[in-house]
Amino acid sequence: MLNKLLKYDLKYMIKNMSVFYILALFFGITTRILFSLEQTIIINILGQISVGCMFAMVVNILINTIMRSWVRFRDSIYKDEAYLTHTLPVTKNDIYNSKFIQTLIFFVVGFLIILLTIFITYYTKDRWLQLKVLISTITTGLELNSTLFVISFIAIIFLEIFNAIQCGFLGIILGHKKNNNKVAFSVLFGIVAYFLSQSIVLLLIFIVGLFNSSIMDLFTSNILLDTSAFKLLIILAIIIYFLIIILMSILCKKEFNKGVNLE
Amino acid sequence: MKLLEVKNLCKIFDDKEILIDINFSIPNGKIIGLLGKNGAGKSTLIKLINDLLTPTKGEILINGNKIGVETKKVISYLPERTYLNKQMRVKDVINYFEDFYDNFDADKAKKLLKDLDLNIEQKLSKMSKGMLEKVQLVLVMSRNADLYVLDEPLGGVDPATRDYILDTILSNFNENASVIISTHLISDIEKILDEVIFIDKGKIILQSDADKLRNKEKSSIDEIFRRMFKC
Repeated sequence: MLNKLLKYDLKYMIKNMSVFYILALFFGITTRILFSLEQTIIINILGQISVGCMFAMVVNILINTIMRSWVRFRDSIYKDEAYLTHTLPVTKNDIYNSKFIQTLIFFVVGFLIILLTIFITYYTKDRWLQLKVLISTITTGLELNSTLFVISFIAIIFLEIFNAIQCGFLGIILGHKKNNNKVAFSVLFGIVAYFLSQSIVLLLIFIVGLFNSSIMDLFTSNILLDTSAFKLLIILAIIIYFLIIILMSILCKKEFNKGVNLE
Repeated sequence: MKLLEVKNLCKIFDDKEILIDINFSIPNGKIIGLLGKNGAGKSTLIKLINDLLTPTKGEILINGNKIGVETKKVISYLPERTYLNKQMRVKDVINYFEDFYDNFDADKAKKLLKDLDLNIEQKLSKMSKGMLEKVQLVLVMSRNADLYVLDEPLGGVDPATRDYILDTILSNFNENASVIISTHLISDIEKILDEVIFIDKGKIILQSDADKLRNKEKSSIDEIFRRMFKC
């Protein structure tokens, strides 16, 4: 039944997000066209408006993906639609997994659309080379492989934001166990969950630091990390975030499986 | 085996006892009126049967199974509120029910919708509350379920439509299935009831065969209800 739930969750997100994807790509294309034309005052003003709209849509995609994931989660599990969701012959785990996978998919899609939009807007051979040189300058100093560095950097940002989204899910689940002020409690529990997860990340890195003086320098001094410590920190961050996301998911499901109390 | 069995069921909200030690059972093939004043605990009981609330104590069994995936396959529930995603069209909702419920009869749903002059191409967001309630009733009654649980099915509709709804309920469930109807409009449904359950202040105060009760009290269920719950 998970595939069926996912089908309808994805349909909902496509309906609501596709307009932002189309607009972001549209303004990416118009910006590129406008800046490729001979620059008059009007063309320049239109170009600036277009680039502004493009960035607004890029930010919109990011914020909307997060907010809509939370809103969809709350609406279909705790509001009127929940009367249908919880009477479907599906397990609570399937309901949660569907929301989790839907968020994951739209987060990846949104990220790719943002990359594509920026690529359409700004790509030239020269800029591409400049970017490569910039990354290479950073990575050479740190003795890192450029591709691996970019992938790791994106992975950490991705895991960090996804962790924040899941903290929101946990906040909504815990907040709706209260009989009053459910939204306020959801926000409060979400923020607490996020700070707790960040504290755990720091704590685990600190524990590793107890056995690795280079990592400990991160907490005790202002000097830059050496190459091996930087590499270790990237790997640690990825592993810790990954584990936290799994643990948070198990905690969310455990609390969700205890049942709901709809108004 | 009993179709529905409720044992020692309690529900407490904010230290307030909403349901207190509820015990009853329902066999197959009956239409049962769940009757009580506002706030008596009818909707709470119905929500517990449908896994929308978590019991504080006690258990509910459907065909011997605890509430879960298996029981949801055989319960068809009509809530008192609109639970459909308004972004959908009527035909999308039919597909949705067909996807999730093996016992959903899409052809029957389409026929019933046609009888009610409802267009399956129409968006739910463009429909009135009354139209949405009709769509939901059609969806619920188009399932070949063992137990239909209808919470205030006549609440928001005009008297002429009430007759159609009652007729729809009566003519669309098989003889082995049972129907629980919760309503304030007792006079409208009294003629179709086999059994009644009176609930007050979270307790079941009466469960009886409807005809036996009428003969014993020499008055209609509506009159008995008014006498018992006189303010």
